[in-house]
Amino acid sequence: MTSWIVFRREIAQFLTTPFAYVIGAAVLLLTGILFNRDLNISFSTKPADPALVPGILSFAMVFFAPLLTMRMFAEEQREGTMELLLTAPVRELSIVLGKFLGAWAYFTLLLLLTGVYQVILLSITAPDLGHALSAYIGIWLYGGATLTVGMVFSALTENQIVAAFLGMVALMLLWLADQAGQLFSNIDVAIIFRTMSLQGHFSTSFASGLMRAEDVAFFAGIIAVMLFITAQILESQRWHG
Amino acid sequence: MTKAMIEVTRLTKRFGDRIAVDHVSFLAKPGEVVGLLGPNGAGKTTTMRMLTGFLPPSEGGAKIAGHDIAADSLNARRNVGYLPERVPVYPDMTVREYVFFWARLRGQRDARARADAVIAQVNLSERRDTLIRNLSKGMRQRLGFAQALVHDPPVLILDEPTIGIDPRQVIEVRDTVRELGRTKTVLFSTHILSEAEHTCDRVIILHQGRIVAQGQPSDLKRKLRPDATLEEVFLSIVGAERGADK
Repeated sequence: MTSWIVFRREIAQFLTTPFAYVIGAAVLLLTGILFNRDLNISFSTKPADPALVPGILSFAMVFFAPLLTMRMFAEEQREGTMELLLTAPVRELSIVLGKFLGAWAYFTLLLLLTGVYQVILLSITAPDLGHALSAYIGIWLYGGATLTVGMVFSALTENQIVAAFLGMVALMLLWLADQAGQLFSNIDVAIIFRTMSLQGHFSTSFASGLMRAEDVAFFAGIIAVMLFITAQILESQRWHG
Repeated sequence: MTKAMIEVTRLTKRFGDRIAVDHVSFLAKPGEVVGLLGPNGAGKTTTMRMLTGFLPPSEGGAKIAGHDIAADSLNARRNVGYLPERVPVYPDMTVREYVFFWARLRGQRDARARADAVIAQVNLSERRDTLIRNLSKGMRQRLGFAQALVHDPPVLILDEPTIGIDPRQVIEVRDTVRELGRTKTVLFSTHILSEAEHTCDRVIILHQGRIVAQGQPSDLKRKLRPDATLEEVFLSIVGAERGADK
């Protein structure tokens, strides 16, 4: 119930502030340009990639997710409303969950908007829809996980810029860990790095049209753990006043 | 004997080596307006933050309407309306949305009706569709009262509710506090002593985290001399403390 109230407040804030529209426009511009390029190539050299947009977003979310979440707690701290939230008869985890669902719903809306590219593809060729669907489910989970990482940093600092910057650094490292795996000759070390990276659970499975329970569980686990950590951070802030 | 609505027992808060609140104990009964007095840094806000469940105490405890602030925090918080010193608002919400949000978060069933009623109570009905960013400071203060009252709590904790508003509004706030004090237990902090004199049934004077005096304003004054102001009472107590320190 509490989560639902907070969710409604979050989603209303996303839809009434220009910032969310700017981010949305940026995502659509970026994916639109790259889709157009891929479509042009597809007429001559290779078929259009059904997982193109999710693939682009898997990198773009390194930057977009912290921008979407930076104000989430930082602003509540600055305006002092955090003090009212934490003295209302609600649990930290319900607040955190509501805020996450708000951001995730906004991200879902963005994803649905990029569905227009699939419609265009369908009208001129016969794309592998199963492949596209798998990639979309993958990026939906991946996006949720990146948002929770952004939330942790928003809860950590009152400064939105710092929150966004730290979130980007953390997500960049999680993205690079996928590449880092290739640097090690020792296969066991490489596997550890790859397993820890967000990208590693997307690029080799969902992006190729493969849905594996272990990857779904990985993203669900990251989301749950990060939300829990965020709630713990809020709880611990009580101790510092 | 009436049950105490606020029951504070040896409440203590340490930040590192510094003791912000030092073994504070007091009771407040239903229908009593208690003033928490003291200079800036005396521990008023920290005491209030512990009572509202925002800060956990380092030692000691308190009960709000019979609910322990640590062991039964959610129930304790349900019984408190809290107005922090700087009124926390969402500038992009309208007055109505804001009060409705807090009504729902505090579990009000008929949240919309409650929100409208309390908006009328603080005289903001005409402004209910105004964005909060466009409200004057005095109106924001009234909005702060509205969110604190929306769940009709038996205990109100108001942190310096008269700071930074104009004299006419100060009088309004005083009247509101007195009015609320007829049915609710009000704990209200100020560093302006004449204000407490006008509003409170009882005052508690805090200095460096400790209670240095408490009682009815008139009694405290009488102890010094009949025509003394509370300022003089306060200075005499704090002065004696300083002397003792040396």
